[in-house]
Amino acid sequence: VQYNATLDRTFFALSDPTRRGILARLGRGSATLGELAEPFGLTINGVKKHVGILEEVDLVVTAKVGRARECQLGPAQLEDATEWIDDYRRTWQGRLDRFGSYVEKDAGR
Amino acid sequence: MSDDVRFARVIDAQPEAVFAAFTEQHGQEAFYGDDEPGWIVESECDLRVGGLWSVTFGYSRDELHRHDHVFRVIDRPSRLVVDTTESRADGSSLEFEIEFIFEERDGKTLMTMMQRGLPTAELREEHRSGMPNAFARLERVIVG
Repeated sequence: VQYNATLDRTFFALSDPTRRGILARLGRGSATLGELAEPFGLTINGVKKHVGILEEVDLVVTAKVGRARECQLGPAQLEDATEWIDDYRRTWQGRLDRFGSYVEKDAGR
Repeated sequence: MSDDVRFARVIDAQPEAVFAAFTEQHGQEAFYGDDEPGWIVESECDLRVGGLWSVTFGYSRDELHRHDHVFRVIDRPSRLVVDTTESRADGSSLEFEIEFIFEERDGKTLMTMMQRGLPTAELREEHRSGMPNAFARLERVIVG
């Protein structure tokens, strides 16, 4: 199983319910920081912090539009995360199968 | 829907034999083994509640992974629960719980592993909330 810092940061970014809510909201279309802050009861600075964490792993991109900062879903497709889970499952199922074969051979002696 | 990540296998032996093999060194090293030449696996186990089962494994001494399992429940020969810390070669770590269940099935043993506390649960929640991206694969991957 391969691990890397980006994957750790992606899992961290997704571990917070507010950040998941922001992503779900952006899945319905782009929004300004103010529009994101309101439904979550956050200040602009508060939402900026969450958006910054999502932006670091490309889950969100932002751009200045006039006086506002507009946010939309980023290019991250989370392939690394899904690949990690695939590898994880293969590794553990492989351990169980290997152990099962060991016991069956041992019991057959 | 459970948040467990679940693995299962029917083993052609009685639960007592499977449980015994799983709690002794050779069985544990088989569990963490690999066919790759030079694969390293070393297991030490203190089988009592609060005891440590420690396994190091990997391709080289320079890049060993380590699992430290602390026994929370020992119900011979049907159940084990451990708190696991996975320490990776890059210095990072992951913590989760594993429950091992050994059930008799027609003279054989259904051995089930359930892991809880992994970030996969967070990802699946994302999938449920309808986030429009590659999470579509996760339900299949996690539920299996």
